[in-house]
Amino acid sequence: MKHVILLFIVGVSIWALLPPRGGSSEVISSSVATREQGGVKYVIRVDPGPLYLPGLVPENAKAPVQGFRVVADAFEKLYPDTRIEFLGCPEGTREWLVTQLSSAQAPDIIQVNARDAWQDVRKHWYIPLDGYLDEPNPFVAKGEPGSIRWWDQFKYPVHTQSTRAPDGRIYNVSLDMIETGIYYNKTIFARYHLSPPKDWVEFLGIMRMLKAAGIPSPMLVEKRDFTDWGCDIIFDQMYGNMRPLMDLNYDPRRGEDLNGYLDWDEVTLLHRHGFFTPRDDRWRETFRILREWREFMPQDMAGTDFFKGFVTQQGAMLWASSLTLPRLVNDPHLGFEWGMFYLPSIPSSYSRFADGHPMSAVGGAANQYHVTNSSLSDTPAEMPFEQRMEKSERLKRTIAFLQFMCMPKNCNTVVNEITAFIPNIKGVDSRPELAPFDEFLTRHYSMTKWFFTFDLQFDEVLERMFDLYMNDGISLDSFLDWMQDNIDSASATMTRQHHPDFAPLEKTWESHAGMRKNYTDLPAEAR
Amino acid sequence: MSRSIPQSESRNYVPLYLILFPTFLLLAIFCLIPFIWAFVTSFYEYEVGAPAHFVGLSNYSTYLFHDHTLGESLGNMAFLTLFAVVVTVIVPLTIAKLIFSLSSPRASYVYRILFLIPILVPSVAVQLIWKDFIYSGTGLLNQFLNILHLSNLTRGWLSSPHTVLTSIAFIGFPFANGIQILIYYAGLTSISDSVHEAAFLDGATGVRKFLTIDVPLVLSQIKLLVILTLIGGIQSFESLFILTRGGPGFKSTVPGLWMYFNAFSFQKMGYACSIGVLLFLLILVLTVINLKFFRSSEDVTAASI
Amino acid sequence: MKSKRQDIFLHAVLILFAGVTLLPFVLVLNNSLRGNYEIYHHFFALPHNLIEIPRTAYLRLTGQPSSSTISSLLMETTKGYRYAWSIFRPFMLNALITSGASALGVILFGSLSAYVFSRYRFPGHRVLFLVVLSFMMIPGVLTLVPSFLLVKRLHLINSYWALILPYVAGGQILAIFLFKSFFDALPQELFESARLDGANHLQQYWHLVLPLSKQIIAVVAIVNVLGTWNNFLWPQVVNPDTTYAVVSTGLFLMSETQANSDRSVMFAAYVISALPLLILFVYATKPFMQGITSGAFKA
Repeated sequence: MKHVILLFIVGVSIWALLPPRGGSSEVISSSVATREQGGVKYVIRVDPGPLYLPGLVPENAKAPVQGFRVVADAFEKLYPDTRIEFLGCPEGTREWLVTQLSSAQAPDIIQVNARDAWQDVRKHWYIPLDGYLDEPNPFVAKGEPGSIRWWDQFKYPVHTQSTRAPDGRIYNVSLDMIETGIYYNKTIFARYHLSPPKDWVEFLGIMRMLKAAGIPSPMLVEKRDFTDWGCDIIFDQMYGNMRPLMDLNYDPRRGEDLNGYLDWDEVTLLHRHGFFTPRDDRWRETFRILREWREFMPQDMAGTDFFKGFVTQQGAMLWASSLTLPRLVNDPHLGFEWGMFYLPSIPSSYSRFADGHPMSAVGGAANQYHVTNSSLSDTPAEMPFEQRMEKSERLKRTIAFLQFMCMPKNCNTVVNEITAFIPNIKGVDSRPELAPFDEFLTRHYSMTKWFFTFDLQFDEVLERMFDLYMNDGISLDSFLDWMQDNIDSASATMTRQHHPDFAPLEKTWESHAGMRKNYTDLPAEAR
Repeated sequence: MSRSIPQSESRNYVPLYLILFPTFLLLAIFCLIPFIWAFVTSFYEYEVGAPAHFVGLSNYSTYLFHDHTLGESLGNMAFLTLFAVVVTVIVPLTIAKLIFSLSSPRASYVYRILFLIPILVPSVAVQLIWKDFIYSGTGLLNQFLNILHLSNLTRGWLSSPHTVLTSIAFIGFPFANGIQILIYYAGLTSISDSVHEAAFLDGATGVRKFLTIDVPLVLSQIKLLVILTLIGGIQSFESLFILTRGGPGFKSTVPGLWMYFNAFSFQKMGYACSIGVLLFLLILVLTVINLKFFRSSEDVTAASI
Repeated sequence: MKSKRQDIFLHAVLILFAGVTLLPFVLVLNNSLRGNYEIYHHFFALPHNLIEIPRTAYLRLTGQPSSSTISSLLMETTKGYRYAWSIFRPFMLNALITSGASALGVILFGSLSAYVFSRYRFPGHRVLFLVVLSFMMIPGVLTLVPSFLLVKRLHLINSYWALILPYVAGGQILAIFLFKSFFDALPQELFESARLDGANHLQQYWHLVLPLSKQIIAVVAIVNVLGTWNNFLWPQVVNPDTTYAVVSTGLFLMSETQANSDRSVMFAAYVISALPLLILFVYATKPFMQGITSGAFKA
């Protein structure tokens, strides 16, 4: 009996060992073979992020993605002494990041969330790219965008700028953008004679009606996204009309579009003056609105995949990013029509702090390519960092690859192979299916991103306590107390690490005294 | 250890130490050095890749007196560990007894194999199944309650602050761990028939017999499994990370998980090490108590004869 | 008469327990053959494409038209397996080498040390044994970073040794404990006679102890392989180069991108990664069960 089982297993293994037919994937091994060839001086390892990894077959898709490999082959033709290897990495796993970067053995280019990188830029684990971005991109023809400054190539500079680290430098470039929107079930909407809402009151009305009609959770959004995006958009609605008052530091590098964006030092100073405390009525209102909205979401917010709820019509609206699009487009069994709209604004009739300005966008750079300290491996580790950056030939080659990727033709090959992201390079159009997101991206950027403002500890506590509050674990008052402590301790940590000069901010704050008189609802300390 | 064991024949101990050498060399390099490093680091404020600052006992005092999570996470750990200990003592022993009581040896063999099969499934897979298909809002548990017309009891089992910890404790239900069953089974088979016969003459039957005769005689197995479960319960946090990341709030956070977050997310390696050292001490104390205060079956047997 | 009734009762309870215990295992197996859409809608159904195969075969045989061919149905059903395998294949050998070598090392060093601890009294034997056991109490996360720095300092990064040596070092602790309990229970007379025959320490170990220890070796091997086979974090950290990646690394990378791919791939990956364990298990079940029942598991 045992031998029968063994024979069976051996048989199955042999069958499985036969090369897969029909051009199936050779995911991670594809690049290894090329390494053996002679004459190669630079092997540049690239982690292109989970969706672009050559060889990966996305859900419901027929063929594996190849875009990055195609571009890399072209690059290797230009530079025969260079090989580009692609590999998948658990970028989201902090212990992996910390160990690999601290020992300079991470891939030369990794896709990592800027927020994760910010924690580590002080330790010279990432290469600042400002110098290169201000210079021309050598691959761009004269007269084209990018021939004077690499910067000019990016279609969405505002969002690209928003990944600037707290030290004022930028450590990544993005070929693509991601934006959120509400996917709605047109079939269900038609059944109840509903149409996309014009303002928040209508929006709540639709959800109330659908719930009464037996749709168990009209609004679907993942827990983490709800915390991240939800706080930002409602915050923007509540404080939007106070932008001039709150913006204490105009950063010219950000340009007009991000004027009024609150950095962590501004948030800290405002907090010292009573903002974002339990005494701040707008702050309280922000979280009250979010809690009210939560009633229309699934009972279980810890679920990992609300896409399932949407395709099985448990819910009628799904707040998700453009990443979800290919899954919907490719689904062969979808039994309903769907459309898209963006979240409607909050009118003053609903909240006395709102003024009805459009909801802000919350998306941004999708895959954020950071150049790591591994690219400096051809220079001695004892050398000062700036000097290494100047001397390293490897780094130059790595940057060249990024610049090569930014050529419109190459960006198109990579980004438009999958219908999930909006190209961030001028001269590259989005796939037609992504048209709604093109429009959403033109909206003004949210005043701040709470999830990106401070350190990871702040984010962790915010996420946990928000979750607890949303599930009736604590009252609004205790939640606001927690947030007060959280901002306090995050401010202290950031101040200790970055030694900012608060004096100019304080001065601007003084100069806004007259402006503050116009507001009757400021926290007591701020008046 | 009552049996007499010979002294080394020649009183030349060198060969013995030589045989032990590789073991201790490996332990020293790969276990002791890292532990010492961690112990020393617990007195520093240290971020991987940045210079360290000596801070004395401040990491310890901060954790013990100023960390909001301490009380709640210790409580959670105690609950989960105690639950696991109780379950480890009761369920596999009961099943082992049931299997042992079968009259057909063949059937008993088949059952022992059946219960062993699930150890082939990685625990990550089991946790994902429980999370996605059993506890989730549209999962089996809620569907089951709906069928029973108990819809008002449905909830997100892992997202509700009131049920999250109990739900986590119940993952792995019905806790019929094949290896543990075998260990108890081994203990039961080693109980001689004469003991059973004596019990029978005393008039002990059924559950009473099980409690008064069988349980005391597998005490040394129970003790081992309790120690291993205690160690595992205090050290492990991976499943919590996969299931809830310790949320909502801190409702399912344990000190080990908090140590993990501090070490890698919050960049407080020194602080994390101080938590780790405290956990090590806790395990040490509990193990010593367990070994000292609970008599093993040998003692019981000796006393009964 | 009474024992028959009792048996029926016992069977009923045991089958219930076994059923619930095996459920996750069955779910993994079933879902590995189904696409996301099937899993979403009919959680308890059998794989649609698989069920279609006999029907299609019947239609084909009787010459009636059918919407799909058997081979396309087969391809659809095994999609998850084929994809998971294409990712795992390069890593399978690495995993076999590292887990196998670690298990061998653990058995060798563990049994040798346990033999010394069990058979001989020498200065410090008790203290040294307790020192070994106390290493079990060190939390793993605590030593992740220092262990990594150490392996790096020893220039073991990107090699099999980066996995094998720490696995052996850590794995031998429980092994020593189990071997020692087992050896303690071996009859004293055997050693007496061997000693009179003039066998030295290692000869006694090799000719006397090892042949008697097959079962406990099976236990240690299985427990150890179960631990190392599914460990994903350490290989990921010390062997970033895919040349030395192991199966669990592939599993981990796959779970990172899980939301964007078919669930069946993930489940198939679990099944495939368990196959070598299954083979080991098929061959070692008997000694394994004897080993556990030998009474080594007690404190």
